[in-house]
Amino acid sequence: MIIALALKSLRNRRLTAALTVLSIALAVALVLAVERIREQSRESFTSTISGTDLIVGARTSPVHLLLFSVFRIGDASKNMRWDSYRDLAARPGIAWTIPLALGDSHRGFRVLGTTQEYFEHLRFAGGRRLELAFGRRFETPGEAVLGASVAAALGYELGRDIIVAHGSGEVAFSLHNDQPFRVVGILAPTGTPADRTIHVALDGLDALHGEAHAPAHDPLASAIQGARRHAESHVHEERDEHDEHASESAGHAITAFLVGLESRRAALSAQRLVNEYPAEPLTAILPGATLLEVWEVVGVAERALFAVSVLVVVVGLAGMLVALLTNLSERRREMAVLRSVGARPIHVFALILGEAALLTLLGIALGVAAVYAGLLAGRPWLEARLGLFIEVGWPSLYECGLMTLTAVAGAVIGMIPAYRIYRYSLADGMVIRI
Amino acid sequence: MDDRTIEPVVDLSSLRFSWTAAGPPLLEIGTLRVVSGERVFLRGRSGSGKSTLLNLLAGVVTPQAGSIRILGSDLRKLSSAGRDRFRADHIGYIFQMFNLIAYLSVIENVCLPCGFSEQRRRRAIEGGASLESEAIRLLRHLDMDDEGLLRRPVTELSVGQQQRVAAARGLIGAPEVVIADEPTSALDADRRAAFLELLFAQCSRTNTALVFASHDVSLAPLFDRTIELTELNRAASRVVSAEGARE
Repeated sequence: MIIALALKSLRNRRLTAALTVLSIALAVALVLAVERIREQSRESFTSTISGTDLIVGARTSPVHLLLFSVFRIGDASKNMRWDSYRDLAARPGIAWTIPLALGDSHRGFRVLGTTQEYFEHLRFAGGRRLELAFGRRFETPGEAVLGASVAAALGYELGRDIIVAHGSGEVAFSLHNDQPFRVVGILAPTGTPADRTIHVALDGLDALHGEAHAPAHDPLASAIQGARRHAESHVHEERDEHDEHASESAGHAITAFLVGLESRRAALSAQRLVNEYPAEPLTAILPGATLLEVWEVVGVAERALFAVSVLVVVVGLAGMLVALLTNLSERRREMAVLRSVGARPIHVFALILGEAALLTLLGIALGVAAVYAGLLAGRPWLEARLGLFIEVGWPSLYECGLMTLTAVAGAVIGMIPAYRIYRYSLADGMVIRI
Repeated sequence: MDDRTIEPVVDLSSLRFSWTAAGPPLLEIGTLRVVSGERVFLRGRSGSGKSTLLNLLAGVVTPQAGSIRILGSDLRKLSSAGRDRFRADHIGYIFQMFNLIAYLSVIENVCLPCGFSEQRRRRAIEGGASLESEAIRLLRHLDMDDEGLLRRPVTELSVGQQQRVAAARGLIGAPEVVIADEPTSALDADRRAAFLELLFAQCSRTNTALVFASHDVSLAPLFDRTIELTELNRAASRVVSAEGARE
């Protein structure tokens, strides 16, 4: 009876009711969307690299190693020696390794020198493999495979020649003009830093640096190799580095390598082995743990976003409170009529509370529907443009909790006008006050 | 009056009521009895405690002393929930104006008491008819059965039409007592007489007692009996200033 009355009462004020429902729906949709994107971006962040048990580089902080090796943020301060890599890669228990050589760039995009193992073993987003959208993997030293974003941003197609510059800035000072790489493949979007990377054969990079700068024996060549992973690419800084790296052996030099172990349980002992490696100071990290560490820092922004969206819900509910309170005094008449036909004060209370609850529930339902519709419609775009893979599944327990909390908050807020009208109803009885 | 039952429908004795426990009594009434089917005109100026007396009869407020027996039940002995239920079952109430709930249709407004009282719902459909057809029957007797009128939002009805819908609501399910608080004050003289005629006819059908409050003496001759509230209420002389202060 009371629910039917509440429904009819709301239908009568359908414009106000619709606006209230809409504002709650928008707020709920915002909270849910933020929550979804938050969840998914954390997921996609922490699964930027998966299946890799260790990352090894020259001695540095774990976060730094992770940032430059996985996210291509910043530069390695030091290369590691090729023979150290060969030695460690040959240890028992190691299933595969992927050498990474960073330090060059092309029009602001990082160039990564690596091997076929990269395509073979690199996994992301819980086990997905890199896939080629066009063309093939590089096979000879002069070939390059572009990440999806690189190809899209620069408008490059297969067969294009690109010139690699030394350093990582937009404006490079030393160009390897004479040795272009030919694009032979373009990767499918991954939502990982691979999208923004130009992959070339490690041999190709070595050839580039070796031949472009000096005869193979010239100690300067290896010095430059050592310096090319520096954040600064200024010529004079390269000079400063010469002495420091003069002792590095010529030939291959890499900035880091990824390790897949035969048994995950060996990760900690392998890490210790690397950290205590006598021939060269090295650092090994467990990518999962370090990713979480970085997320703690990055996550502040998303927590702020979430807080804002919660505030929007509060505003939406406050709007409902205002809508319910403003017509309260004119509804005292209605309450007197209801009392006269036998409604108890508690019925009157329930009527107003019921209206608030209905508005909130409708708002939540509409908001959830909007989010699902939006996710389904926007998923291809998010995937293509932002590399966010949003799963459209049932709401998580946490989301259900959020919705329940909103519903309860709506009911609690509804109690304010309901209680007021209850008091009026007790005081007025059936005296109609206009 | 001889053929009517002797047991009064309304039996009020030694009643004393004031809004605050310490305040001066607003109403002090020795005896007031209304029998089944009787039409009583309760006359009193506004502010004389008329509405308060009607609220007492309907069990919305309770007196400090004395008893109010409706159909033999002492309202003072009922809980407030019990009084609300009692009112739903046995009392039809018509206000001065703004009787209808704006978001309900004419029919829904008429049927409203049956939503709160199983007894009145049962009585309303006793003849085998549906609740809706009973509402239409009552409205027809009140000259309100025009299809167009029934479908119109209640807020678009004229005041006279609204009052007739309110009367049908007061009468549905044949309550033993109908209390009307100046229901004709917003109507012009012609419509007033027509409204009363229709109301009386319906009350006679179901032998319903009618307590009709108004300040308009010209209506008094139409009733079985007229009660002057100022004469009935021994607190009257003290009331005027107190009531004035409250409002």
